[in-house]
Amino acid sequence: MRYFGRRLVHAGLLLVGVSVLCFLLSDLAPGNFFDEMKLNPQVSSETIVALRAQYGLDQALPVRYIRWVKSVVRGEFGYSFAYNTSVSSLLGLRARNTLLLTALATMLAWLIAVPFGVWIASRPGSWTDRLSMGGTSLFLSVPELVIVFALLWLAIRTHALPVGGMVSTGFDRSGPWEKLWDLATHLVIPVTALVLASLPILVRHVRASMIEVLKTPFIEAARAHGISRARLLFRYALPAAANPLISLFGLSVGGLLSGSLLVEVVTGWPGLGPLLLESSMSRDLYVVVGVVMSSTVFMIFGNLLADAMLFIVDPRVRVE
Amino acid sequence: MHRLGCLVTLLLVSGLLCYAASPPQPPQRGEEVQITDNEIGRYGGSLVVAQRSEPKTLNPVTAADAPSREVIGRLTADLIHINRASQQTEPALAKSWTLSKDGRVFTVKLRHGLRFSDGQPFDADDVLFSFKLYLDEKIHSPQRDLLVVGGKPIEVQKIDPYTVRFTLAQPYAAAERIFDGLAMMPRHLLEKPYKEDKFASAWILTTPSAEIAGMGPFRMKDYVPGQKIVLERNPYYWKADRSKNRLPYLDELVFLFVGNEDAQALRFQAGDTDIISRISAENYALLSKDSASRGTEFFDLGPSLEYNFLVFNLNDLSSKNLGKIAAKQAWFQDLKFRLAVSAAIDRAGIVKLVYGGRAVPLWGNVSPSNKFWVDLSLPHPPRSLDKARELLKSAGFSWRGDGRLVDRQGQPVEFSIIASASNAQRSKMATIIQDDLSQLGMDIHVVPMDFRAVVDRVFQTYDYEASIMGLGGGDADPNPEMNVWLSNGGTHLWHLGESKPATDWEAQIDQLMQKQMVQLKYKERKHLYDQVQEIVAANVPYVFLATPNILVGAKKKLADFKPAILDPNTLWNVEQLYFLPGSGASPRATP
Amino acid sequence: MAKKRKIIAAGVLLVSVHLAILLAGFVAPADPAAQNREFPFAPPTRLHFVDSRGHLHLRPFIYQWTTRPDSFNEYQESQEREFPVQFFVSGVAYRIAGIFACHTHLFGVEAPAQIFLAGTDNYGRDQFSRILDGGQISVAAGILATLISLVLGSLVGCIAGFYGKWIDESAMRFAELFLVLPWLYLLFAVRAFLPLHISPTQAFLLLIGIIGTIGWARPARLIRGIVLSARKQNYVAASRGFGASDAYIIRRHILPHTYGLLLTQAALLVPQYILAEVTLSFFGLGLSEPKPSWGNLLANLQQYNVLISYWWMSLPALALIVVSLGYLSVANAFHERLQSVSI
Repeated sequence: MRYFGRRLVHAGLLLVGVSVLCFLLSDLAPGNFFDEMKLNPQVSSETIVALRAQYGLDQALPVRYIRWVKSVVRGEFGYSFAYNTSVSSLLGLRARNTLLLTALATMLAWLIAVPFGVWIASRPGSWTDRLSMGGTSLFLSVPELVIVFALLWLAIRTHALPVGGMVSTGFDRSGPWEKLWDLATHLVIPVTALVLASLPILVRHVRASMIEVLKTPFIEAARAHGISRARLLFRYALPAAANPLISLFGLSVGGLLSGSLLVEVVTGWPGLGPLLLESSMSRDLYVVVGVVMSSTVFMIFGNLLADAMLFIVDPRVRVE
Repeated sequence: MHRLGCLVTLLLVSGLLCYAASPPQPPQRGEEVQITDNEIGRYGGSLVVAQRSEPKTLNPVTAADAPSREVIGRLTADLIHINRASQQTEPALAKSWTLSKDGRVFTVKLRHGLRFSDGQPFDADDVLFSFKLYLDEKIHSPQRDLLVVGGKPIEVQKIDPYTVRFTLAQPYAAAERIFDGLAMMPRHLLEKPYKEDKFASAWILTTPSAEIAGMGPFRMKDYVPGQKIVLERNPYYWKADRSKNRLPYLDELVFLFVGNEDAQALRFQAGDTDIISRISAENYALLSKDSASRGTEFFDLGPSLEYNFLVFNLNDLSSKNLGKIAAKQAWFQDLKFRLAVSAAIDRAGIVKLVYGGRAVPLWGNVSPSNKFWVDLSLPHPPRSLDKARELLKSAGFSWRGDGRLVDRQGQPVEFSIIASASNAQRSKMATIIQDDLSQLGMDIHVVPMDFRAVVDRVFQTYDYEASIMGLGGGDADPNPEMNVWLSNGGTHLWHLGESKPATDWEAQIDQLMQKQMVQLKYKERKHLYDQVQEIVAANVPYVFLATPNILVGAKKKLADFKPAILDPNTLWNVEQLYFLPGSGASPRATP
Repeated sequence: MAKKRKIIAAGVLLVSVHLAILLAGFVAPADPAAQNREFPFAPPTRLHFVDSRGHLHLRPFIYQWTTRPDSFNEYQESQEREFPVQFFVSGVAYRIAGIFACHTHLFGVEAPAQIFLAGTDNYGRDQFSRILDGGQISVAAGILATLISLVLGSLVGCIAGFYGKWIDESAMRFAELFLVLPWLYLLFAVRAFLPLHISPTQAFLLLIGIIGTIGWARPARLIRGIVLSARKQNYVAASRGFGASDAYIIRRHILPHTYGLLLTQAALLVPQYILAEVTLSFFGLGLSEPKPSWGNLLANLQQYNVLISYWWMSLPALALIVVSLGYLSVANAFHERLQSVSI
């Protein structure tokens, strides 16, 4: 329990450090939201100066930071100048969209990677193994950007899938099955891109870890005992190989809110990615800080989760 | 009992369905509807339009950005409206008006018997309240400056429940044009928040639809953050066609948020949206290729009213710590230098490469499509590098052995051009100009920046050397451009913050613009404005580049589609749009 | 043996690509910034061996592109004259590594024809030359940023691992901060506040600096681990007994252990950082015109009509893939030499 207590305090300190960092950074960028009005020749400069004061952009930095912290404690995460609403309401919806995408992709990736990795680890050097290693090498070298464009190109050419966005126009009017289908077709491209981007490294890690374990004496002993192959792999070897995989899983969970920026922006998925891009371009300070904070929170949570799982699964950790 | 329950439910449901889908009631007695002269349409259908970014608010008084204004314009109505096709004013909520002889007093007569979209009556009290909002200094409406003429805000007086008098501090030439875009607000809904000082948070996107009411053809129905806004027909709209059918014909208007121009093009091609507006030339070419098979048609409306230009930093930098830029101003301030730059720029290349041929080169600030105000006698010199070199030589510049241009002191000429990164056309123009000027031996850096950063530098910190910007496009009349050409104007970009004109020609422009503002006769105004254009073209404070054509597209089944050059190009007559029969007027659920 | 052949093949590929990029001016037939405004978005020039009359030529030749009479950006080959491809031609001047001026190009054709092996872009600039030139920026960015990360990481890792206790604790906590931040988001935020001082060289160096600085944490952690275990060795204690200074011990006894890790990390980080630069440039936050980088070349694909109609604009992706593949194979090789199984 003390272990967890320490980790939690640690996480809290990290959060504070991150929030200060983000706040400082977003404050130093030039330009602000009301600039768009300036280009309208019908608006005078006095109006704009007054508006800036009204929104508190003229106050000193520590004052603004304190205001923001108070807002966080109230559950508000600050105020968005652009949308005239609290940041949390914006974040909530966008985070939900992003999570839908990334949770699905992560789940799929792990569900494919683990059995596949285990399978090819059980026959190292075979042609399937070599093919997979080659394939993963290739996909590792293909940047996510290229994968998304390739998929988009396919979709446009074949007219098979909707390109961009999360739902079609008549969404509200359709029945529940149609809604599900609509959402599903829109999910195909972004999810496939994310899975293809993360699968290679997962497969490799699973394989490497498994191969290490498969060489150990206790597996040999188990094999000598006549335990069937499938059982051997999944009930004896895999748990022993789990240690590095759990840390990796923690990283996967931690990256749920931040790993999909590129895919979201290019496919027009209304998640946190486009929100961050837009708000950092328009200097909507509190939104930028809110997005970075929430994705960091997830990362910290992911690490905590990994630590917890390790604690439970690996007795060696408990002894330390 | 069970059967009875079913029957009742069935009746209720069908009643509701009838209510939802039924056409609006015809105009009542005592209701002074405006009869429009359009083709008679049929009721029904949902029009889907894409927007490149989400609106920020639905509050007409505080809205500053274009997407918000696009939605708000369909929810609200003004007293006097500028017809986008004819560019002339026409009666709207005001059925008639008179201007006093001295041009200072405007008396407006409102239509009787009109109601807001929630059924509440509209009268002069709402007009007074609306103007109170626009003029309130605490609210800081961006439109307040339009109502300050001669240094004093406009005075509003109620004469009777349907007559309002406006008094201006000095005669104003385009007085009736001021009213366009000033939405009339419902006093019964907004007076309370206004008194409680909560007006700024009124009518944000998440406000429930029941609390929003306007005089526009549509009213709020639904908002899905990050995705769309749905508007439904306003059953009390005050326009009807010749057959006394109350407008609008459409049941619904949906604004879809799609992020960028290419996503817009994709959605339009997939049939998700019915109208596409202001597309780039490449997408226009691509989309019109298979328009026959997809049942769409495209329109090239010719040049817009917008003007794009290269501006040099001629601000007074003595109080700022910008020594390097100040040194370069010696070049920028030389008229011959600016003329040389103008002569070297390949405007035809810009039209071809940046706009795919769908643009018009500019040498002045008034676009050729502004038929009422353009000065046709202005010269349009073709590109000439020789002429540019001559000008530079006569200004004391010379060329080094390696081809670089140097000034009298031997300093090589180099400077940077900043442009908005999000505006692909301006960045491309900068690249072409960079190449053009390198042929004169100048070394140019193109710096695409976040739009806000560009505006910050050009308007506030003056920390830039040259920039590509665009202005105009709002109205054809010269008056909204006062801030650009008056030497103390807020958008007098090349030299901001002048307490008095820095040069003789700027002083001349000041005088001419002031004169035309109070000149009530068109011919005299045109003559004055022509002189302004000539001075501007001769002194090149802006090196004008080009104006893009307005390119729009719509599905063929959308009838009475009459795109115009003025904003909002495609939706200005949304109440007259309707879907042709037999084309499946309802949207598709899945692509 | 097959493994060794693979590594050699990867190594050779990598070296030749780097050489081609280093000698970009030589290999490329045209000036990357030269605009040919009559040929926007021209497709790649076709190489022929058989001409229109059916004769076979030993030397490949090309036909010039001309605009189709009825459109303004569709092209057809003008069969009037054959332009044979010549080698070691004299062309536009360039500088190797910014120092040696030169005129000779590997191949080219006689004026007024031009050879566009990878087509042209919006302004009619030769994409082949731009891909090579852009490679200089992207690859150099990757390598330099990696150097920064590794140097910083080694520094911190060594000091933390060697001195231990509270220095170690605080350094590792600080590293955790950087590890937990989403790097792409952080990159955006940091890039946004930079003063954007106009010189492109400065912008480029700053970019490399940022990318490299953000990534110091992971190498630091790994190096710290090695230093910690190396510190406990007997010979270190013995060295200390002989009066060796800290610096000497670190330099002589500890650092050599890290070389293997550093090499592997380098081979892993370079492609990552190349990708970081590409991503930044893709969003318009990297190099500015007319300097090409693989990122801003790929950014053209964001336009729908480019993605569909002009396939040759995606060729920079190929270059990126080849380089990443090369580095990853090399990284694998290093890793295998250090440990039994490759990741």
